[in-house]
Amino acid sequence: MSSTLVAGAPAIGAEPAARAPTDWRTDAMRGRIRRRYAAERRFRLLGLAAVTLSCGFLLVLLASMLSSGLGGFQRTDVRLSIDFPALNLPVTRGQLRGSGADLALAGAGLQGAVGRAAVQAFGEGGDRYIADRAWLTVRDAVLADPGLLTRRTAIDVPASSGIDAAARGAGRADDEAVVARLEGLRLLSTAINWDFFTRADATDPGAVGIWGALKGSLLTMAVTLLVAFPVGVLSAIYLEEYAGRNRWTDLIEVSINNLAAVPSIIFGLLGLAVFLNTLHLPRSAPLVGGLTLALMIMPVIVIAGRNAIKAVPPSIRDAAFGIGASRIQVVFHHVLPLALPGILTGTIIGMARALGETAPLLMIGMRAFIASPPGGLADPATVLPVQIFLWSDEVSRGFVEKTSAAIIVLLAFLLAMNAAAIYLRNKFETRW
Amino acid sequence: MNPLALLFLVLGLGLIAWLSARARAIALDRGGAQLHSRPRQHATYVALWTVVPALIFAAIWAALSPSLVTASVLADPAAAVLPAGGFERDSILAEARSLALGRGYGAFYDESEALAPVFAQAQSFYRWIGAGIVVLLAVAGAAYALSRITPLFRARAQVERGVMLALLVASLIAILTTLGIFLSLVFESARFFAIVPVTDFLFGTTWSPQVISQRDPGASLGAVPLFWGTFFIGAVIAMIVAIPLGLMSAVYLTQYAHPRVRRWVKPCLEILAGVPTVVYGYFAALTVGPAIRQIAVALGMPYASSESALSAGLVMGVMIIPFVSSMADDSIAAVPTAMRDGSLAMGATTNETIRRVLLPAALPGVVAGILLAVSRAIGETMIVVMAASGAATITLNPFESATTVTKQIVDLLTGEAEFDSAKTLAAFALGLTLFVITFLLNIVALRVVKRYREAYE
Repeated sequence: MSSTLVAGAPAIGAEPAARAPTDWRTDAMRGRIRRRYAAERRFRLLGLAAVTLSCGFLLVLLASMLSSGLGGFQRTDVRLSIDFPALNLPVTRGQLRGSGADLALAGAGLQGAVGRAAVQAFGEGGDRYIADRAWLTVRDAVLADPGLLTRRTAIDVPASSGIDAAARGAGRADDEAVVARLEGLRLLSTAINWDFFTRADATDPGAVGIWGALKGSLLTMAVTLLVAFPVGVLSAIYLEEYAGRNRWTDLIEVSINNLAAVPSIIFGLLGLAVFLNTLHLPRSAPLVGGLTLALMIMPVIVIAGRNAIKAVPPSIRDAAFGIGASRIQVVFHHVLPLALPGILTGTIIGMARALGETAPLLMIGMRAFIASPPGGLADPATVLPVQIFLWSDEVSRGFVEKTSAAIIVLLAFLLAMNAAAIYLRNKFETRW
Repeated sequence: MNPLALLFLVLGLGLIAWLSARARAIALDRGGAQLHSRPRQHATYVALWTVVPALIFAAIWAALSPSLVTASVLADPAAAVLPAGGFERDSILAEARSLALGRGYGAFYDESEALAPVFAQAQSFYRWIGAGIVVLLAVAGAAYALSRITPLFRARAQVERGVMLALLVASLIAILTTLGIFLSLVFESARFFAIVPVTDFLFGTTWSPQVISQRDPGASLGAVPLFWGTFFIGAVIAMIVAIPLGLMSAVYLTQYAHPRVRRWVKPCLEILAGVPTVVYGYFAALTVGPAIRQIAVALGMPYASSESALSAGLVMGVMIIPFVSSMADDSIAAVPTAMRDGSLAMGATTNETIRRVLLPAALPGVVAGILLAVSRAIGETMIVVMAASGAATITLNPFESATTVTKQIVDLLTGEAEFDSAKTLAAFALGLTLFVITFLLNIVALRVVKRYREAYE
């Protein structure tokens, strides 16, 4: 402390002005202390309230998704009794063996036959109680046991969306009446809707699945990882180990830090202008989506990578240099392996961000109605968050459950990725 | 030859080159010569010469060949049937291209069906030429590099130079991305501003892109209502939620909470930050919007919209809480302990210490964090796309609907308009505005954070 700092104050050692000591026991002083402590308590409660409120939001969000989404994993089945001999399907036992069996059954008019069986079982209009794809369940049952064709049997088939909604108490009045009648006959049951995990988008909420979107997401993520990880790690190494401090590296650094904070939709505009309109890459393809997201999360990987590389102590580098390693060898044989857990943690967090991203993918056209899972990187595809967005726009009530169910799947993936990142950090984190 | 097969062919050649170069270097080594570099380094040198030039050429060829193909198709007599120019000509060509690739499902124009075989022929011609040159380059590179393997050749230094180059190129991609964003936005915006005057766009108060008059397109493309909506939702309503809650959470967690509580609550806030925005948007549209509408109706606004500014802003605020709280957390932690201890030793209560000492000392960091939070809020897209309305109004009433820049970008670009219309170009002008504003906010905030960190170090 130089003396200029206290120029206006009396010099140290000077005689302080005489002052009567404070009497802390007067009422005024006691009141003042009481008020200060009360303010302290209020402030503390305010802080607690803020924390509780923030966590409360999370709980409300999760609870509302769970409560409306769990139903999406279930479906309502109707027990349909079918008298196969009476239906008189033109298939021979020989056709049911071998690979063409499903085609043979389809060709024999099984779909219509199942509809007729439903009319027979439930009366006029009974074919509307079962889903359009109910005959597929029957087909699979017959394929599993061809002996069914010779007798009368009962099979649980998926109910139509109207009946399904009514069974959950959200249907139209006439459907509710049907449900009441079927329930009286003990024909309704609920089952886990495995189709939800194996099918793609559809117009009927009962028939939709998330596999199409999930596969699109996986393909997109693969492209993102393949592009962003090497580029991000290499540029982190360059900036941390090689770059001198000059204007050029400052420019790189500013643009990386800024890119990390650019709104994601801007990256979508970039993808639209560069990848689609200039390079003419296929629209709606996981390839373009992956490239766009890679540009978006690359700064995240670079920043995490730089921090991880910075944390490796100089003694490691010095020791390697000391035994004659070249610069590249020091970095690739010693620094990089030690920094890898940190880099991977950052990468997983970046990938989790990319997995939940929607807006840039809307810009490059990944919002199309895709009824079959994409076959390759250049096929039209959609991704999980975009599928959620598309379903949330649907008017039909059945989609509310499906949207929430898809959200649960997305959140489960994100949670797993973040858990992996935390596990990696705890397991491999070294304190030097 | 399809690109993937070509890639594998080149990689296979690279592997062969690697193996033969290593065998050669080992033979030299066994022969008693003193090698400068290890056999593996010689091998890598040769493999790089085999693969890299060939792949670079393949990439350039992939970018060039479409225009060569189009040129040769146009030179073909079959192209004489094409209309002279304009939109129809382009779409016939595009259709013929997709037919030739086997992507199309039937043709809309008869001409394109005639052109498709010509296209396919030209395409396979140029593809084979490209593949031939690529393989030639790979072999030539391998031969050149193999001829350089001598005991004194410094293969290691050469390989390391190559790696350095790769590192430099990787770090340039960040600059290229920034440049790419800026140039593509500026380029498309320039085309927009050739149609609509800048002043009309920046200062016009009517936004109705559904009907754009041909004579005066600027009259319905005034972006002021969007700017106001963005500011109102992102910088006012969201911040009214996020700043107090985020700041108080950070203060409580750093100053009051038991370590065990902290260990549980912090991840909880981090999860809040990790929830995808589309989930927030769905929550806002499904739950918050209708609830706020009911409140508005109860307050005497019978025609309140369920797509109010308040519902989008509230949910956005919740999304921003962890962001504000972690920035505040960092800046409070950066204040030297001596300042806090000094204040407590003078008899101040914890809350007085926080309010009079810690927060003022941490203020630059907190303000920078809030700026970053604002930048994030105004760039947020999915919540407003799903929960805010498309009606552009300038209003102070949070129960009324407002729209934002990001929402309009999505609406403009996902409609069914051809690409060159004023409508789609307007999206890029909006994007440029958004980019410039967030860029300025980020630069200022990052600078403040950096300077502040240096001040206490």
